[in-house]
Amino acid sequence: MKKANRILTVLMFIFLYIPMIVLVVASFNTGKDITNFEGFTLNRYVELFQDKHLLNLLRNSIIVSVLSTAIATTFGTVAAVGINGLSPKLRKTVMTLTNIPMTNPDIVTGVSLSLLFVFVGSRLLGQRDSLTFWTLLIAHITFNLPYVILNVMPKLKQMDSSLTDAAMDLGCTPLQAFFKVTLHEIMPGIVSGAIMAFTMSLDDFVISYFVSGLDFVTLPVEIYSYTKKPIQPKVYAMFTLLFGLIFVLMLTMNLLQIRSDRAKGARRAKVDSKTMRTVKRAVAGIAAACLLLGVGYLFVAPHAQEQITLNVYNWGQYIADGSDGSMEVIAEFERRYPNIKVNYSTYDSNEIMYSKLANGGITVDVIIPSDYMIARLIEEDMLLELDYDNIPNYQYIDESFRNTAYDPENKYSVPYTWGTVGILYNTKYVDEADVTGWELLWNVEYAGKILMFGNSRDAFGIAQYLLGYDVNTTDKAELQACAEKLAQQKPILQQYVMDEIFATMQNEEAWIAPYYAGDCLTMMEANENLAFYLPENQGFNLFIDAMCIPSCAKEKEAAETFINFLCDPEIAGANMDWISYSTPLSAAKEYMDPETVSDPISYPSDEILANGSSYAFLPEDISRYVESLFMEVRNG
Amino acid sequence: MKKNNALLLSTPYIVFMVIFTLIPLGVVAYYALTDPATGAFTLENVKNLGMYMPVLWQSILYSLVSAFICLLLGYPVAYFIAHQSATAQKILYMLVMLPMCMSFLLRTLAWVGLLQDTGIINDILETIGIGRLQLIRTPAAVVLGMVYNYLPYMILPLYSTIVKIDHRLIEAAEDLGCNSVQVFSKVVLPLSVPGILSGITMVFVPAVSTFYISQKLGGTDTVLIGDVIERQFKQGNNPNLGAALSLVLMLLVFVCTGIMNRFGADDEEGGVIA
Repeated sequence: MKKANRILTVLMFIFLYIPMIVLVVASFNTGKDITNFEGFTLNRYVELFQDKHLLNLLRNSIIVSVLSTAIATTFGTVAAVGINGLSPKLRKTVMTLTNIPMTNPDIVTGVSLSLLFVFVGSRLLGQRDSLTFWTLLIAHITFNLPYVILNVMPKLKQMDSSLTDAAMDLGCTPLQAFFKVTLHEIMPGIVSGAIMAFTMSLDDFVISYFVSGLDFVTLPVEIYSYTKKPIQPKVYAMFTLLFGLIFVLMLTMNLLQIRSDRAKGARRAKVDSKTMRTVKRAVAGIAAACLLLGVGYLFVAPHAQEQITLNVYNWGQYIADGSDGSMEVIAEFERRYPNIKVNYSTYDSNEIMYSKLANGGITVDVIIPSDYMIARLIEEDMLLELDYDNIPNYQYIDESFRNTAYDPENKYSVPYTWGTVGILYNTKYVDEADVTGWELLWNVEYAGKILMFGNSRDAFGIAQYLLGYDVNTTDKAELQACAEKLAQQKPILQQYVMDEIFATMQNEEAWIAPYYAGDCLTMMEANENLAFYLPENQGFNLFIDAMCIPSCAKEKEAAETFINFLCDPEIAGANMDWISYSTPLSAAKEYMDPETVSDPISYPSDEILANGSSYAFLPEDISRYVESLFMEVRNG
Repeated sequence: MKKNNALLLSTPYIVFMVIFTLIPLGVVAYYALTDPATGAFTLENVKNLGMYMPVLWQSILYSLVSAFICLLLGYPVAYFIAHQSATAQKILYMLVMLPMCMSFLLRTLAWVGLLQDTGIINDILETIGIGRLQLIRTPAAVVLGMVYNYLPYMILPLYSTIVKIDHRLIEAAEDLGCNSVQVFSKVVLPLSVPGILSGITMVFVPAVSTFYISQKLGGTDTVLIGDVIERQFKQGNNPNLGAALSLVLMLLVFVCTGIMNRFGADDEEGGVIA
C-alpha cells in the first residue's frame, strides 16, 4: 500500500513536471519547433533580453501584481479587523460577499467587470478609453481582496482578545494596541494572503484578458496571442528564467522556515534566529522597494508621456518584424519620428477587430481591416475621414486601387495590401488528382487533416463559391444552405483556425487549409512540401486590406503620419518582402525581391483575377445572421 | 472593539465589494436582457440559451470526470505527503504548488507539443513500433488538460485535511480491532470529506469554465461553455448572448458549490487552502 502510494506520487510529479521540462528544453533549441530538438543554443536568452516588447510586458505584469497586492493586503487587513468586530449576522453576510469572486468562475468575473467598466465609462460617462491601467488594477484588487481576508480572518479569530485588552490596560491607545499586538499576531495570515494574492495576480490570464484594453497589457494576455502564432522560442527562455527564479525563491523560503522551526523546537523560546530576522528584513525591504518602484512608475509615467503613444491594431504576422533579416518596420518608424511611440497589438480576423471596437472601452489610432469590413465601419460611422495633406505618399497608390466599391470617394482608407484566397496543401500527403477545387476541403479521405477558416465571412465565402451562390447574397435560405454545407464539413475538420495555421501547416500536423495567398507564400517558404492552389473556375475571394483611422482614435495626425510612412515605396517594398502579400504600390516593386514581384501567386494574370470577386458590405441584420449561423455551426 | 469602529473599518470594504462584485453581476443581467443591436428589453437571449444546453452538459460532464480523476490520483498523493517528515512535507508541498505559479497557457501548449500527431509522444510510439495514435483533439485530451492543470487544486486541500487528522483516532481504531482497510474507510476517509469536497469544487469550477484548454487540446466537437462565451464576446460581437450564458454558468456553479457546502457543513470561512 505504502509502496504503491510512493510510486503513484513519483508518477504524479513526473506528470506535473514533464510539460515544464519540455518548455525548458525548448528554450535551448536552435530550431523553432518544440517537438524537434535540433541543437543546443543560448541565443534565445540573448534574443529575450533584446526584446523590449516582451520585457515591457513582464514589467507591466509586475507593476499590476505588486500594486494590487500591496493595496489589497493593506485594505483587506484593515477590513478583516473591522469584519471581525461586526455582529455575527452581519459578518456572515459580508463573508458571503467576499466569497463571490472566490466561487465565481474567472470568466464570469472578467466578463462582469469588463461590462461594468464599459457600461459606466463609455455609456454613462462618454469616455472613449474606459479600459485602462486603472480598471485592470481595480480588477486585480477585486480578486485579490478575498485571498487576504480569508487568510487574515482565521488568525484574528484565533487571537486571544485579552491580549489587546492587556495592552490597552498598560496604556496603549487602540491604534497602538493594533500595531504592537494585533498586527504581530496576525502577521502570518497577512503574509500568506499577500503571497497568494501576488501569485494569482501575476499569473492571471482570464480576468485580465476580458478587462484589459490595448494600451496596457500584461504578459499572460499577450502570451495568449503568442500561442496562436508560431511561438517565438524566446518566450520559452522567459518561462525557463521565471521557473528557475520562482523555484529558487520558494526553496529558499522553505529551507529557511524549516531551519527556524528546528531552532524554535530546540530552544523552545520564542526567539527568532538572527538569520531569520535578517531574511525577514530583507524580504520586507525588497517588497518596499518593489512598491516604491511601482508607485514611482505611476508618477514618472505621465512625464515620460511627452511622447505620443500611437495605438496600432493590426492582423498577426502582418508587418515586417526584423526576423529573417527583414526591416523592423515599427522600430524604423520610431527612429524617424522619435516623438511617437507605437503600441502595437494584433487580431486575427476582421470580426475580432470589429468586436473589440464595437464593445467600446478602448482607443485605437490605426486599424487595417479588409474591404467588406471597411464598408461596414463606414456605414456604422466608426471611421474618421483622412486628411490627405498628411499622407502625401498616397500619390503612389495605383489607380486601380482607388475609388473602390467599399470606399468610393477615397475618404476613409489607404490600401495596404491585396491578395487572393486559395488552398494551401501538402504535396507529400495530398494527391494532386484530388486538388480540383474547394471540394478538397470536404474530401473525407483527408479527414482530421483539414483546417478551416475560423471567421464567418471567409468560411461562408468558400461555401458560397462551392454552391455557386453570390458571395454577397442576402438571401437567408442561401445562407442557411451554406451553414448546412459547413456543418457537413465540421466532422472531418481538424480545427477552425486563423493565426494558428502557420504552426500547424508548417510542421505538417495538418495538410489542407484555405488561406490568404500572402501567408501561404510565407508558409511555403518555411516548408517546401507546401503548395498553393487557386480554384479559378469556381471563383475565389479577391481582397484589399486598407489602413483606416477609427472614430475612437486620439492621435489622428500621428496616425496619418504612420499611414504615410507605410506608403513610402521603400518601406512598403521592404515590408511586403517579409509579409509576402501583394502591394498596391507599383513604385514599391523596385525595392522588392524580383522573384517576389514576378511570382504568379502574388500577382496573378488579369485573366485569372477576372474570376475573383470581392466581399461587399452586408446589411447589419445579415451580418449578425451570418455570424449567428456560424456560431451555431461551431457550437452545434 | 467598539461596534462603531468595526463598522468604520469594514464599510469601505463592503462598499468596494458591492461596487465591483454585486453591481457588475447586475450589469451582466442587464446585458442579458437587452437586444445587441437596439438595446431594448428582450427575452431573445434567454430563449436562445436552449441551443447551448448540449454544450453546457458537455462542459459539466468533462469537468466532473476531471474532478473525479483528480480525486483518484490526488488522494493517495496527498496521503503520502501527509505521512512524511515535516521537512519532506514542506518540500513536497512546494513542489505541488510550483506549477500553479507558472503560466498555464505555456504549460498547456507544451501538451500540444507532446500529444499532436507529429508530436513527441507519437514520435516515440512510432520509433518503438506501435505507430501513431490519435491523442490530441479528443475528449480524453481535454480531460487530460483539465486534470493536469487543476490536480494541485485537489492535492493541496486534501493534504491540509489529512495532515490534521489526529493520529490517536487511528490508533484507537486499531486498538479496537480494525484492520487497515477498516481504519481507512471508517476513520480516515470520513475525516477527509471536507478536503475532498473543497478539492472537487476547486477543480470543478475552473474546469467547467475553461476555454483555453479546449481550444488547444480539443477538436471541433469538444466545444465547452467557456469557448462559447469567449467567442460571443471576442468574435461574435454579441455580448448580450455572452452575458446570458455567463449568468447560466454562474448559477450552475453557485448551485454546485451550494450542494457541496450542504454536504460539508462548511463554516463561513469556506474551503481555502489553509
